[in-house]
Amino acid sequence: MRNVTDVEMAKEVTLMEVVKTLGHAVRLDWRRMVVTGLTFALLMQVLMMIALMVRFQGLPNYAVGYDWIGNVIHIIKSTPSWGDIMPIVNQEWLIEIGKMNYDYGTGISEWSLNVVPVRIMVLFVLGALVALCLSLLRTDQCDVATGTTLRATTGLGTVLIAMTNATMSWVVCCAAPSWVVGLAMLGLGVSTSLALESMGPALNLAGFGLLLCTAHYLAWRKTRNPQHLSGSLKHA
Amino acid sequence: MKLKTSLRSALLAATMIPLGLAAQAEEITIAIGHQSMCTDTYTAGIVIKELGLLEKHLPTDGKYADAEYDISWADYSSGGPITNQMLANKLNFGVMGDYPLIVNGAKFQETDSLRTVYVAGTGYNLKGSGNAIVVPVESDIYSIDQLQGKEVSTPVGSAAWGMLLKAMQDNDIPTSEYVLKNQSPAVGAANIAAGKIDAHSDFCPWSEIMEYRGTGRKIYDGSETGVPYLHGVVVRQDFAEEYPEVVQAFIKAVYEAGEWIREDPMRAVTEMESWTGVEKEVLYLYFSKGGHLTLEPSIKTEWIDALKFNHGVLVAEKAIPPLDFDAWITEDYLKAAYADMGVDYEVDKAKMVDPEVANEGLPMEIWHSRDGISTYGTAAEFLKGMADIRATAALVNATYVYDVESGLKLFGKTAFWVKAGDDFATFLRKGEAEAYASANAGQVVTFDDAIAAYATDG
Repeated sequence: MRNVTDVEMAKEVTLMEVVKTLGHAVRLDWRRMVVTGLTFALLMQVLMMIALMVRFQGLPNYAVGYDWIGNVIHIIKSTPSWGDIMPIVNQEWLIEIGKMNYDYGTGISEWSLNVVPVRIMVLFVLGALVALCLSLLRTDQCDVATGTTLRATTGLGTVLIAMTNATMSWVVCCAAPSWVVGLAMLGLGVSTSLALESMGPALNLAGFGLLLCTAHYLAWRKTRNPQHLSGSLKHA
Repeated sequence: MKLKTSLRSALLAATMIPLGLAAQAEEITIAIGHQSMCTDTYTAGIVIKELGLLEKHLPTDGKYADAEYDISWADYSSGGPITNQMLANKLNFGVMGDYPLIVNGAKFQETDSLRTVYVAGTGYNLKGSGNAIVVPVESDIYSIDQLQGKEVSTPVGSAAWGMLLKAMQDNDIPTSEYVLKNQSPAVGAANIAAGKIDAHSDFCPWSEIMEYRGTGRKIYDGSETGVPYLHGVVVRQDFAEEYPEVVQAFIKAVYEAGEWIREDPMRAVTEMESWTGVEKEVLYLYFSKGGHLTLEPSIKTEWIDALKFNHGVLVAEKAIPPLDFDAWITEDYLKAAYADMGVDYEVDKAKMVDPEVANEGLPMEIWHSRDGISTYGTAAEFLKGMADIRATAALVNATYVYDVESGLKLFGKTAFWVKAGDDFATFLRKGEAEAYASANAGQVVTFDDAIAAYATDG
């Protein structure tokens, strides 16, 4: 009797069936996904703040809150093209916490964490996706090597998205928050970091691509092997 | 009956609400982004704000008869965030230096629906003074060619960055032969003070702040690039088209701010110190007669050429979007504002102040902490004056002399002094001082030695 390869099995599983499996997994685990998503988004802000304080050996000495909703409404009202609205809204801050240097003039912000709601949403989706992948992995009966590869892929996707959604600013690096500040803080040359800045959206997409592919692959494996779907809809 | 009357009153009141709203005055929000730590923006920023000059010139007739103005000012340490805030329409006006201005125009033109227009200048230095490269005061670096293999920092994207690139290119130092670091003015100044960086290139007035505080020494002045250094005002096009008279009012305020400074530079720098925290002695170097800055808002053909040149530098280095200068720059608002003020715009536009020519023969100055500024026609008189003051142990805030080569105003204590016979000459750079000394059988001396030559015993 011949062994059936994954590729051959793939021909027998339709995309709709995979989507159904994913939907089933989401219905089964949506609470965990929401909690993980929220935790991930908030934890990232805390981690960035800690990273700034450790790197610059100081505590923040100022915090400013912004009327994010009001600002977004204002931008939508005053920007004629929808194509222009999103890139501008993406940069809107909710909170700014940082260290102000008062040695010169009226003060210059040396470093800060900028809480950007659009990025929080992205991080929430990231957390939820990671929870979904881990949930699918938990019930998958794959061998150790495949499991490790899938976990590594999930990890890589997570790192890419988290890294490109960092919202720290450092005057030495740039005047506005940028994901490359994290790289510069880690010791990568500022010029090199800035040269990488334009790659941010591509890396972000690559990260989501990896996570979605992992989730899709795991759902496909479950679909071709239905006994894995024996769990009950505890939270449905 | 009472209920009926109340109901009728309520209905009447309800029908009157829309009428009341219609009669309500239009509120025009004017939000301006400026930079209190960049001297060349002051006439379109802090001075207008503090003296209330915009309020003075805002239109109050015609379609503005019932207008109510809501003016707000936001202070930034660089031009980049001002552009971001303008994109979000939280600022209508932005005041910034030449390189950030170009980025502003290009970033807006990159969008589908938003544009800014460059409506006026604030001031300029024809040769490019204002930007400079500074080294720690104890450093053994005295000229730009000694920067090979060294670490040089600058706020990337600023005018000082552009000047640094041009200066290095002019001196045949490729980027591979020095380490370029991106540092904000405050960080760069702190690193120069601590000797943590070999050199720092910065914009006005950071180099002079470092010199005045005794932490840094200028080795290269922007004037050596020969590219004019200028600042200007950009406005969101939608705002300018809706309220052109407000833009004209802003330009009138810029003009009046320049007049106010010229009228009494000492008063102006004293006031500006209290508004910005920048030492008045540093500000005097910019705003006094013979100072670095020529305050004048016209847009000259040479300025457009300089901006195009700067754009080329940015394109080569950072691949910023293209910029249609013809669509971006307009003199319409300037001309209308000048016509309203009864000032001939073309006359201002044709004027060009070259420090080398304009500062020739200007007297040296001593700023006595109690008596204020005294002027001296010759170096001998100046040095004698300093010696006399020192003999009384009186305090001197600052002294000002001129670079023989460029006409640039300098702090007396940071200039290189050459004694040739009984005469003294002052220089910005050591190399030129030494060349002058050898050509005139003289010697380079310190400021203290020069003063000591005039000290009377006992």
